[in-house]
Amino acid sequence: MNWTRALRTKASEQLTWDDLLPSEQPVYVSSLVYSLGVLTLSSFVIVVASGVIMASKGALWYQTSSLGDFFRSIHFWSVQAFFFAMTMHLVAQFFMGGWREGRAFTWILGALLFGLSVVEAFTGYLSRGDFFSQWNQVQSKDAFNGAGVDGFLNVLNNGQIYGIHIAVLPLILLLFVGWHVLEVRRKGVVPPYQAKVSK
Amino acid sequence: MKKAHFSRDTLRFPQKDFDMVKEGTISLGIVAVVVLGLAAAFGAPYRPAITNQQIAQSNPVLFAQTAMGDLDGTGAMAQYGPPYNNGFHGQPPQSTQSIAGFSPETWWGTPYPLNTAQDDVLQPLTMLAKASNNANLLSAVQQYEAAPFSQQMKWDQNMEKALTKATAQGGQLVLPTGDYGPVSTLISAEVSLGQSGLFSGALNRETNQGVYRYNVQNDLLFLQGATLHKIAGQLNMKGEQWGINHDEQAYPGPWWLTPYTFLYQIPPWSVSSAGDEMAAYTVAILFLLLILVPFIPGLNKVSRILPVHRLIWRDWYKHLEQTGACSTCPFKEGCAKEFRDATAAVAASQNGEVPGCYRPLSHPLPSPTTVASHTV
Repeated sequence: MNWTRALRTKASEQLTWDDLLPSEQPVYVSSLVYSLGVLTLSSFVIVVASGVIMASKGALWYQTSSLGDFFRSIHFWSVQAFFFAMTMHLVAQFFMGGWREGRAFTWILGALLFGLSVVEAFTGYLSRGDFFSQWNQVQSKDAFNGAGVDGFLNVLNNGQIYGIHIAVLPLILLLFVGWHVLEVRRKGVVPPYQAKVSK
Repeated sequence: MKKAHFSRDTLRFPQKDFDMVKEGTISLGIVAVVVLGLAAAFGAPYRPAITNQQIAQSNPVLFAQTAMGDLDGTGAMAQYGPPYNNGFHGQPPQSTQSIAGFSPETWWGTPYPLNTAQDDVLQPLTMLAKASNNANLLSAVQQYEAAPFSQQMKWDQNMEKALTKATAQGGQLVLPTGDYGPVSTLISAEVSLGQSGLFSGALNRETNQGVYRYNVQNDLLFLQGATLHKIAGQLNMKGEQWGINHDEQAYPGPWWLTPYTFLYQIPPWSVSSAGDEMAAYTVAILFLLLILVPFIPGLNKVSRILPVHRLIWRDWYKHLEQTGACSTCPFKEGCAKEFRDATAAVAASQNGEVPGCYRPLSHPLPSPTTVASHTV
């Protein structure tokens, strides 16, 4: 079996331009809840952009300069927007049964993204470098240690926490976000539950 | 025989115009404006971290009590256990969590070693004595280290008692007369070292090789007990105050941790000595349930039973009702089984029949009730 040919065939069958950049949607796509996913993505773009700028200037910059403080504020509020939109998206997809008709893997990726985002946000809070970081760092050590994560993670090691926050988890998140979106586009939006038929 | 499966291809539904790029651009624009506006108007919370120097200056007695706990092994970190140490002087660890013998905390040994007597007191003071050519301090450290453990404990306990009555005058400890051996010299020097601002540097030197300072473990852990708990309590940030769930100022905090924080408010999590371990695994199990919703019988039907989807797709259902699409549908019975009635579906499609909801629009849809629509 030629792996390259198999991949090309599968991709060209399941990810056509009509799937990837649709100019039409089923008529049932008519609700504000369909905007929650793209609002999550939009917030994510701003989270990443502000984070990259902060990382390029270094941790002291966003703690000590007014411009750094402003970018930290952008990062803070875009994270709030991201979690708000993502949580609403998750709740909406639950009520819509978004996993139906062969879409279970899309749901699994989305749920994993939620969990990873929570850990990513927590490492961000610990990288703020203020009392909130200090307090939660010493408090959370008992939870991380108790869970047995201490074999891998020293939550009091800022070098490790910062590295995880700006490189390890963002790369995994980007990969999973891309995969999640591709799955949504590949399968199309989940059809509505069947209407009640009046006898 | 493999059961035929009726594919519910979304492209077989009636379609309408849609511009994904435009929707994405508008969405990004809206979020950017809102976020920039909030950032400009409100900024973001920032409360400077508490330094050892601040505490040594503002409350020398508390600072001295913290150092004494580290020296005599009564401090929480002195007797914590893995991953930092194996308890104090042969005593079993006091902070190891275990659920019916399940204690993964202990699996990795002590990868982040901390001997509080050495690391928090004796080693920094040795450095201070050498840096300042303080022969008196150096000999006090050496006298303490050379003394039998029982003698050390006698001095330490006398000092612990004295510190409950000690006062601070001009930033210096004033102790009642007593038999403290070299410990009074050690503790006074420790307070002075803290007040100078050099103490953190000494602690950070211990957890970092060479020049760079990435690991602040020992610095963070020195104040982690009574001192930080007192300050956090004043800010409503302790665990039982829903601590981590909210920021310390009037800003939204990490509210997405609510289910986790909630556990700390109720027994058994709030009262168990393994509360943190229990909370971590409870959340892990809940998260696993979330991931597996599509496969959990009952849970994967909740959304079908609850009528929330009727609200989300209300325009669609109104359309089906107005056109009578479902009542005349050849798949009427099968549809009720989520299009999985293979026999009816295959037979009907062979006759060239089309499900009611796939038929081209003969009636216009009700006016969209929303301004936005997107598919991600």
